[in-house]
Amino acid sequence: MIWHRRLSRGLTALAAAAALGALSLGAISPRGLGAQAPELPAAPQGAPQDTGALRVQVQGTLTDAQKNDPALDRLTSSVAAQLRCPVCQGVSIQDSPSELAQQMRTVVKEQLASGKSPDEVKDYFISKYGEWILLEPKASGFNLLVYALPWVLVAGGLVFLAFVVKKWTSAQPATAGGAARADDD
Amino acid sequence: MTRLLAYNAIIVATAISLLGAVLLPVAIRRGRRDWLTLGYAAVYTNFVLVTVATLALVWGLVTHDFSISYVAQVGSRATPLFFTVISLWGALEGSIVFWAWVLALYGAAAVYFNRGREGHLVPYAAVTLLLVSLFFHVLLLGPANPFQPVFPVPFDGPGPNPLLQNHILMAVHPPLLYLGYVGFTVPFAFAVGAMLSGEVASDDWIRLGRRWTVASWGFLTAAIVAGMWWSYEVLGWGGYWAWDPVENASFIPWLTATAYLHSVMVQERRGMLKLWNLNLMVGTFVLTILGTFLTRSGIISSVHAFTTGTIGYYFLAFIGIVLVAALFMVAGNSDRLASEGRLDAPLSRETAFLVQNLLFTAFMFTVLIGTLFPLVAEAARGVKVSVGEPFFNKMSLPLMVALLFLMGVGPALPWRKAAGEELKGRLLPGIVLGVLFAIGVVAAGGRGAYSVLAFLFAGFALGTNLQEFVRGANARVKAHGESFVMALVRLVAANRRRYGGYTAHIGVIMVAVGIAASSTFKTEQEATLTPGQTMTVAGHTLRFKNAWGRQEKQREVIGATMEWMDGDRVRAQIEPRMNYYPTQQEPVPTPDVRSTLRGDIYLSLMAFKADGSNVTVKVIWEPLVPWIWIGGMVVCLGAIVGAWPGGRERGRAVATPAAPALAEGQP
Repeated sequence: MIWHRRLSRGLTALAAAAALGALSLGAISPRGLGAQAPELPAAPQGAPQDTGALRVQVQGTLTDAQKNDPALDRLTSSVAAQLRCPVCQGVSIQDSPSELAQQMRTVVKEQLASGKSPDEVKDYFISKYGEWILLEPKASGFNLLVYALPWVLVAGGLVFLAFVVKKWTSAQPATAGGAARADDD
Repeated sequence: MTRLLAYNAIIVATAISLLGAVLLPVAIRRGRRDWLTLGYAAVYTNFVLVTVATLALVWGLVTHDFSISYVAQVGSRATPLFFTVISLWGALEGSIVFWAWVLALYGAAAVYFNRGREGHLVPYAAVTLLLVSLFFHVLLLGPANPFQPVFPVPFDGPGPNPLLQNHILMAVHPPLLYLGYVGFTVPFAFAVGAMLSGEVASDDWIRLGRRWTVASWGFLTAAIVAGMWWSYEVLGWGGYWAWDPVENASFIPWLTATAYLHSVMVQERRGMLKLWNLNLMVGTFVLTILGTFLTRSGIISSVHAFTTGTIGYYFLAFIGIVLVAALFMVAGNSDRLASEGRLDAPLSRETAFLVQNLLFTAFMFTVLIGTLFPLVAEAARGVKVSVGEPFFNKMSLPLMVALLFLMGVGPALPWRKAAGEELKGRLLPGIVLGVLFAIGVVAAGGRGAYSVLAFLFAGFALGTNLQEFVRGANARVKAHGESFVMALVRLVAANRRRYGGYTAHIGVIMVAVGIAASSTFKTEQEATLTPGQTMTVAGHTLRFKNAWGRQEKQREVIGATMEWMDGDRVRAQIEPRMNYYPTQQEPVPTPDVRSTLRGDIYLSLMAFKADGSNVTVKVIWEPLVPWIWIGGMVVCLGAIVGAWPGGRERGRAVATPAAPALAEGQP
């Protein structure tokens, strides 16, 4: 009985740490760490390995007016900032100086200039590269977890704190023991 | 020769660590002081042996001894001496050697300074330190062995990763990171020592570990800021933080450590949160190992990921062992850890610390979950997803803004209970400054709710924290008739921990302002220019003078000279470059930055015509970015003030060999 209580207490106390351990363990099992060894070390994980498939076709349809249109530039930047550069390490095509990213930015601009909405442009890139191309996962289905969990924690934590503070303030007023110490830290 | 010396030093160090870790508990059981001394000697010997191995590896690098596998992997005769030496941490195996050395150094120092303390806390801490050392030795003998023989011996090697030899900050960022990361092993060891010796009910483990914690935290902060700076100066995209998985890995333990630095004050003053503080320390240590696992196993791709292989299993096993052991130790001590919570009023500094801890923990979880989510999603759905900058920015902004606010409220709230009138007086300077900041940012054209809030709270926090200095100094001026400056100096010197903390706050505010300003007002433009042509970005005019090329020892450089104009006068010459390394197909872009206190002109060379007739450059105006680096230094200054030996805490916090009973007799 005592052991049961102690253990459950320790468990709660360490739930946080254990959860992260479990997260990483669960995440690794399907592929296995060892199995990663033969992969190209430089290629970003999850990127299509065939570089031929990475290419995008710049159409060259932009008029001079469109090339110098600041409103179109801003829209292009905002879409490009949400797309991952396939040959870089987690940087958007807006930020990447690589040649492929520059071409992809041009494609984004061309499609926006031709009247596509930002979502349609993103869908085009998803169809070409997969969901992986979005730097921010779509907030739907399983992905909702990553959006919701932090706020669940904050909300739960606040409720818990409110409860604890209420309980602790209604407890017997503290003795003068610590009050005499100077306000030194 | 060198190879065998280093390899054998590690083998012996492994044996010594193991022996020491077995001997110390026996010595404690049997009450043998002489064996205890012998166990401590194992800690020192371990340090000497790892030092020998590390120096031998550096010697191997410097003398281009390509019969050593690590040297053959990262060395090259063309690399300048300086970069040859720092390539010690340029790849997996060498970085583990360096880690083991820093750990051995910390272990030896921690044991040496506390060797005279009575009780079993320090011996058990020594066991912990030896066991962690042992783990890294096993890595060096197994999956990360840098001392394998190479035959036939190659004449030359490929040289270190060009990105790592492209900037001087690479000499600073990794050592700082290791000093920070590894440093948390010491307070963790004291925590374990306290749990194993049953001394966990007293605050001694916190006091013994305090300076180590503050120092490690300072190193880690410096490392993170240096990493941001490196990324800004080297990677060419004009940003300083990309929420790269390994940046996150360094940030996650920083968050728990920061929470810990604050929450221990509640324990020391009010005797509460004992269990929580213990868990924060264990968590911080585990998160540093997890961070290393993420970096070194290559499981999550990033700028920093080195290699793949079996090393990940070792880290996972180690994390598992630490977690299970910690679980049992905490469970075994749960009766001693029970602490009665009592608060006098909901509005008090205690409550501010509780909320601060909640927010820091939530922040840690947000970053952790976001970092690991691609793995989870792939495991659960079989679909590859990315979790990058836009996600982290969106999720962390509210938390950061709330923390800025708390940083302004906390110092103004007294312990126990806040009285309305007094509180008003303490908050007023902050409110005034905050409103001024907010008006300033709106006047400058900032419209986003978060940027206005960030400036409002930054000003607020700056006001209340500065006010603490002014109020304290004024009191001294009145009481002692000192000059204001002298009063300020004496005030800080007499209360280092407190004012070190406020100094760190002010540094964090500078960082926050730099980040908020640069993300709100950053302006960038790309243009193709012919010689003599100019372009203007955010009111700054740049003229393209010429393009040039030159041959350097280990690389070829193509550059463009741009002139930052002030009317007809040339204010500064800026030279963005592309560096071509023989081992690398793609050039390494090397931006050039001119800093002023108002902001930076950041130039990247994007493309050039071979005949120099035109170049394409990207120009970014980055307002207030230098304040991030200045703020980082101020935070470190705060950590130095807070960790500096002496002051009012002398004798209270440190058990010196001469007065071991002192620490025991503390209330």
